[in-house]
This record gives sequence, structure tokens and C-alpha cells, in this order.
Amino acid sequence: MTLASGRPPTDGDAVLGVSPEVVFEPPTVEEAARIVGESVSAGKSLAFVGGGTDLELGSHPERLDVVVRTRRLDRVLEHAPSDQIVVAEAGVTLAALARVLAAHGQRLALDPPLPDRATVGGVVAANAFGPRRTRYGSVRDLIIGISFVRSDGRLAHGGGKVVKNVAGFDLPKLMVGSLGTLGLITTVTFRLHPLPEETVTLLSPGRRATEIVSLVARMHAAQLEPTSVVALWREGDRFDLAVRFEGFGRGVAEQRERFASMASSEAQSECHTLDAAAQEALWARHDALLRAGSFRAKLAALPAAFATVAGQTLVPLLSALESPGLLWYPTLGLGFVTGEARATEGVAVAVFSARTTLGAEGGSLVLHAAPDSLRRRVDVWGSPPSAIGLMKGVKTRFDPTRRLAPGRFVGGL
Amino acid sequence: MSTAPAAAARDLATRMVAIVGARHVIDDEGELSTYECDGLTGVRVRPRLVVLPASTEEVASVVRVAFEAGIPVVARGAGTGLSGGALPVRGSIVVALSRMRRILEVDLANGWIRVEPGVINLDVSKAIAGDGYYYAPDPSSQGVCTIGGNVAENSGGAHCLKYGFTVNHVRGARVVLADGSVVDLGGPVLDTPGYDLTGVVVGSEGLLGIVTEVVLRVLRKPQATRTFFATFPSTDEAGAAVSAIIASGIVPAAIEMMDRLAIVAAKAATGLDWPDVGAALLMDADGPLAEVEHTSENAIELARRSGAIEIRRPRDEAERALMWKGRKSAFAAVGRISPNYFVQDGVIPRSEIARVLREIEGLASKAGLRVANVFHAGDGNLHPLVLYDKNLPGQESAAEELGGEILRLCVRYGGSITGEHGVGADKAAYMSVMFSEDDLDTMNLVRCAFDPEGLLNPGKVFPTPRLCGDRRGPYRAHATETTGQAWRE
Repeated sequence: MTLASGRPPTDGDAVLGVSPEVVFEPPTVEEAARIVGESVSAGKSLAFVGGGTDLELGSHPERLDVVVRTRRLDRVLEHAPSDQIVVAEAGVTLAALARVLAAHGQRLALDPPLPDRATVGGVVAANAFGPRRTRYGSVRDLIIGISFVRSDGRLAHGGGKVVKNVAGFDLPKLMVGSLGTLGLITTVTFRLHPLPEETVTLLSPGRRATEIVSLVARMHAAQLEPTSVVALWREGDRFDLAVRFEGFGRGVAEQRERFASMASSEAQSECHTLDAAAQEALWARHDALLRAGSFRAKLAALPAAFATVAGQTLVPLLSALESPGLLWYPTLGLGFVTGEARATEGVAVAVFSARTTLGAEGGSLVLHAAPDSLRRRVDVWGSPPSAIGLMKGVKTRFDPTRRLAPGRFVGGL
Repeated sequence: MSTAPAAAARDLATRMVAIVGARHVIDDEGELSTYECDGLTGVRVRPRLVVLPASTEEVASVVRVAFEAGIPVVARGAGTGLSGGALPVRGSIVVALSRMRRILEVDLANGWIRVEPGVINLDVSKAIAGDGYYYAPDPSSQGVCTIGGNVAENSGGAHCLKYGFTVNHVRGARVVLADGSVVDLGGPVLDTPGYDLTGVVVGSEGLLGIVTEVVLRVLRKPQATRTFFATFPSTDEAGAAVSAIIASGIVPAAIEMMDRLAIVAAKAATGLDWPDVGAALLMDADGPLAEVEHTSENAIELARRSGAIEIRRPRDEAERALMWKGRKSAFAAVGRISPNYFVQDGVIPRSEIARVLREIEGLASKAGLRVANVFHAGDGNLHPLVLYDKNLPGQESAAEELGGEILRLCVRYGGSITGEHGVGADKAAYMSVMFSEDDLDTMNLVRCAFDPEGLLNPGKVFPTPRLCGDRRGPYRAHATETTGQAWRE
């Protein structure tokens, strides 16, 4: 292998503090395939890096010799506005993609934080999402095709370029959230949505979790269809509930009015429509909260369990953290706890306890960011799911010599 | 030793009887013939045995016995599939899931329901309709097809343009693997850590496992639905209308197209007073009332500007149901205008509808055949119905050949060989038109992780038999060899 065509690593190339010997930034998919194939056959271990926004997700790599960055795979290969699909190389950032699509009145309905850095390939590999998941689903609901380099350097495709397609096994779904352990994602095809004519965000401040659960239930009953619903923790048992409606003007106005009257119908409850600046500030607050502190845990539970999760399950964790933060997507049953985890032992115990409670109801708690001291104490993924044996089988078939991000994924895969 | 196989067969039947009871094992030649094919009726293979288990444990035991004996297993739901996904393999055991039809758990507060695979698609919606909820995927056969079959095929329907396919509505599944072990994938709570194997199992056409419980996402019914029917001089204008509607930012719940021949057939079958025109569109918009009224009026205006002759709006729910009945009965209706027909299923980018339909017409007239088109225009999912008369020498094979040409045409336009009917036995040969050898090899890696012996539904999806190439120890004939699908020189 021509290691000479790579470059020496800098601090920014380390994965959770582990530095590679060499870094490649291939300009083409073919070159990327050659690098992966030759590295693996030379017995090197690899990690794949996009914008690096979710590099803290996963365990430390057991070994790391080669980092392949997708930065130069930055072409939007095809945008067919009338078919509402886009084919983009892995290194295209969400912001760059959004600019191309907006010129034709369209968007990819994936809105994780840091769109200027987050890349298409990274978002798929990490299964990143944002508040619009409420309406449009996650990566698995929007991805329709994928190409990736296998550990043997061969290029594989799955899915296609049309929204509706059931030919062959669903390789795109397999790659979503696989964190670079099955192959290097090189291009992704997504289905797109029209940009809304109108967007409005309402804020109902200072609500209790129980009120939020009942408000969301009434919203369902009233057949309102928000594109985002998020509860941002303020203090004590109080949350600010933000609800966003998007679509054609008339429909948005009507939904806004109905929700506002519903949310302010009880005593001492208020709900107001945010102006453009306040709306932007609110969603910026959401994104900032997701990136605050050295600790970030993703929670999953049944949506209706919110009051118990916030009022009981998470109490020890929130008190063990410094500058704790909590946000929750009430229609999804997903949320994040953030903060500083200086009191390692206390945080570790609280994580165990929250995991036990959530796990008993089929939920989970995964550390998306954590200091090394805490990582030494707890597995970032928690105990492996019951299907771990089958997952190991898949990993072994795709990467028989365990060279792709070894040890990073669930159960040490 | 001619008695050895007979004794082995008796022994197998005895073991199955011990698991599910005598009433639920079929080995009578006459009764077996019911299971010789699914909705793809042109190909028939009689299975060795049919077993009807009633629980996950029974399915697991049946599969384990088959695994130990090296016998292929084919799972079957209602047998409505159109691609031969449930077609038995020679010497196989068919595991029919029709006795597993309980709704196990309903949790509307959290938007899910847990069902057994034999539950009929429409019965899921019926069970929760009183609370204002429904299950979104709506294949035309939804009154008879089962959830297990839907999961195997990743079934679609008219309304998946807005709401997605089966895979977007399956949150988890209990799966019996090829060796009889049982695994739970996903569940009611989102984002179970690990690979999304639920997403991989959905649409895997019975090659990765047998689903014995499914957790489905259910939705609150939309506040309002507006439907209209529009007629056009030809499919060119109708295709232009579809493109204009989508380009305006409208996401219809469904938008269906029929060409002249399909309209004639639907009229003959239902007695609808549809006019004699070159093409028609049927569109649903649903969602919050104000939004729906706005989008529906805009769509009608765009249809007019694209050359619509006439727009009809149903006056009430009964009239709306009748319009949809006309559309949904169109496949069977073709039987009124032709002694025989094939239903084809291919996908093209929707912007190419008009051009592709003209090319199909050209191919048909070259073959001396007629093709009726009735399809999901919003997502470019064509269903050309190739009409023929099998009593006329050469017509059946000409029709088959034309069907194949249409699939190649779809792939040439950047589309797919199947949008919702699956690959099955019918289209396995066309997989290599759409996928490279490396792509197929990669899909086979998935199969080998789930079923290294290749005992589950062999001969489907993949164009040529593939082994997993890692068997250690003394040589054992592979299932595909003993069933005559593969040979070792």
C-alpha cells in the first residue's frame, strides 16, 4: 500500500484520543475503495470520519492505524427535483446539501445540530436526527439508496433512486447507525420534501411533564400534525414546550390557532406564537443544549412514560451532573440528558440505575458523549440487546478480520 | 432401498404431528395441492408437507426439526403474493401462519399494536378504528393478505406516497431463525441500540427468518380527506398533471393513474359511469382540514391547467368509496376484456411516466399485444397488465417476454424491477439487471449471517444459488443441491 499517499495525523484526526498512523482524504470513491481494500489486506485497522460531529458516539477503537476522511467526497451527484430525490457523496455537509435543494424549493427533512459540519455519510452512520423527526421520521425513513466500500475493498450498492423499491435486501437500513463497522459509506440517496410555505413555532412555557403528556394526547385527538414537538427542561418540574407547524399558509394558521387555544385553556397556562427572531433563538437553544457539556446521554422510552422518566428515573442522574440539561421529544419517546460529569462515581451509579429502569420497559440509555473517566466505569452502549448474536454474525460476514472500527459498536463489535 | 425415503417422510410427518397435532399437518396429496402456489399461479411445486403451527414455540420446533434434517422451509401467509415468494421448493415444508391470528397487545397512547403474523391487514385497522386510529399500509389485497406476508414483502399500497411502506410502520418483530432459535428485534420503544435488523428483515421475502410477532406503528386518522377524479385526453396530460402537483409542494396521500384500457375494464366490472377517455387520475389529499382544502383545490387547478377534461368530486363517503373501488378492482376487471393477463410491477422516476408509457405501448404493439396501465403515479410504481390469450399459440411466451422487456425499460430509466410485489421466484432472474455481482454478493452476506445453510425459502430473490462457503467438517449436500436447484460437478 502506498501509505505515502496519506498524510500524518494531526490532533483533529484522533478518534476518542486514539491517533492513527496515517490519514487519507480520497478524492474519489474508487480511491477510497482502494485505500480500504489495501489497508485491510495489510492488516490495518480503520476508522471513517465525516464532519466529526458524532465521533464521541461509541466506545474507544480497540486499534486504529488508518483514518479515512470523506471531506473530499463532496459532490452532489444528482438532484432530480421533479422526482424529489438526491444522490450525494458521503462528505457533502447537510448545509451544502440544503443550499442545493433550496434552490428548487426542497429539503432533506433531517435536522441534527451542526449542519455546517455534519456530513451525509456521518449522519447515516450515526443515525443522527433532529426535532423534525416528529413528522418525517429518521434516517431509515428517508434513505432510499446507498453505496459503500466493503472491508475487502469491493463497492456495494443497495436500494435505488426511486422512492418505492423492494428489490433485494434493504442494505440502506443495515448501514443506518452502523457507525463505520460494516463499511465506508460513499454515496447516499434520499427522498426529499418540499420546503414549507410557512413555518411557525409556539411556546408554552413552564409546563409539568404530566401536562405535556396530556397536551400531546389532546393534540393527537384533535388531529393536529406538528413537524416538531420538544420539551426543554427549565428547572424543578417545569419544561418549556415548543411545537412547530409547517406547510401551506392557511393550514399552518389554522393549526396554530387550534393548538394555541388548546394549550392555554387551563388555568395558569399560556402559549404564544414566537416571532421570527424568537423562533430562531428557540431552535438554536435546542441545538446548543444538545452540544452542551462533556456528557450527553440519549434516552429511549415509551412516550407516555415521560412524567415517570423525568420525575423519577432521571432524578439521580440530573442531580449527579453539573449544569444538567434535559430535552425530550414527547411524541417519539426520545430525549437527551446533558451536562458535566465530574463526579464520575455518582454519575456512573445514576446511569446504571436509569438504565435498569428504562431497560425494564424496553427502553435504553446510550452515552453519546462522556469523559474517559466515566467510559472506564460504564459501557457507553449498556448491556447488549438480545439480538447481539445475530449482530455479531452480520459483522463477521462483512468484516471477517475485524478491521473496521473494531470495538466501537454495541457489544464490542 | 426404495422404502427408506418413505420411512423418512413418515418419520418427519410424525415429528411434526408431535409438535402441532395431527389436524395441523397436511401430507395428503390432494390437500397439498392447495399450497402448490401463491398469487403467481403459473408456477406450481407441491411441498413435502404443510404444517400449521399456532405459536412461536411451535414454529421454532418445526423449524428446528427441519434444520436438523436439512429440509428447506417456506413460510406462507394468505398466499396472495404476486411474485411467487411463497412458492414451495421441491421437498420443502411449508409453514403456514394462518392459525396465528391474534392481536396480542394494543397501546394507542404510545401508538403501537402487537399482532401475530396471520392477522389480516385490514383487521388491524378495524380493531382500532373505534378509537380513531388506523394502520397505514394498504395493499389492494388488504382485505385478505396478512401482516406476516406484508412484512416479508415490505408491502406498499396506494397511500404509501405520503405514509411510507410496511418497513416504515414496523417497530419490532419476534423472529424464528433458520436453526429454530428465537430472536427479538426492536420493539415498541424507538432506537434499540445495535444494527437495524428489523429494517433488514422487513422485505427479506422469507429468506432471513419467520416472523411470529410484529409490533406495528399505528396512526391517528387524519382530520379530513379530499378526493377528486380527473379525466385527460391521454396519459401525457395526466403525467404532466402529476408532475405539476408534486412540483407545487403538495404531498398527496395517494395519486393513481389509469389509462384508456384500464378505464374500460374498470367500467365493465363495476358499472361506474366513467367517461371514455385516454387517462384518468384519482387523488386523495389528507391531513388537517384547512391544509387539505387548500392542497386539494390547488391540485385541481393544476390538473385543469395540465389539460384535464373533467373534474369530479365525490359528494359523500359512499361516492368516494365507489371511486376507489373502481381503482382497486382494476386488476381483476381486466379479466373482463382479456382471457388472460400478467400483472407486472416496476418503478420509474415519476417525471418519466409519459415517456415510459409511450415506450411500453411501442413494445406492446411490436409484440402484437395489448397492455393496460393502472398504477401508483405519485411514486412512479407502474403496474402494466399484459393481456393475452393462452389458447393462441405463442401468446403466453410473448406476453412473458414483453413483461421482461418492461422491467428492463424501468431499470434503464433509473427505476426498479419491483415496487411492492417483491422479487420472489418470478423476478429472481432480473436481479442482475438491477444489481451488480458485488451487490448480490453483499446481500448474500446478510443471508449467510441469518441462515448459513440456506434452508429458508431457497431459490427466491437471488438469480443463482449461492452458498455461504464456510462449512467445516465432512461434505454435506446443500439443500439447494438435494432439491435440484444447484449441482456440484
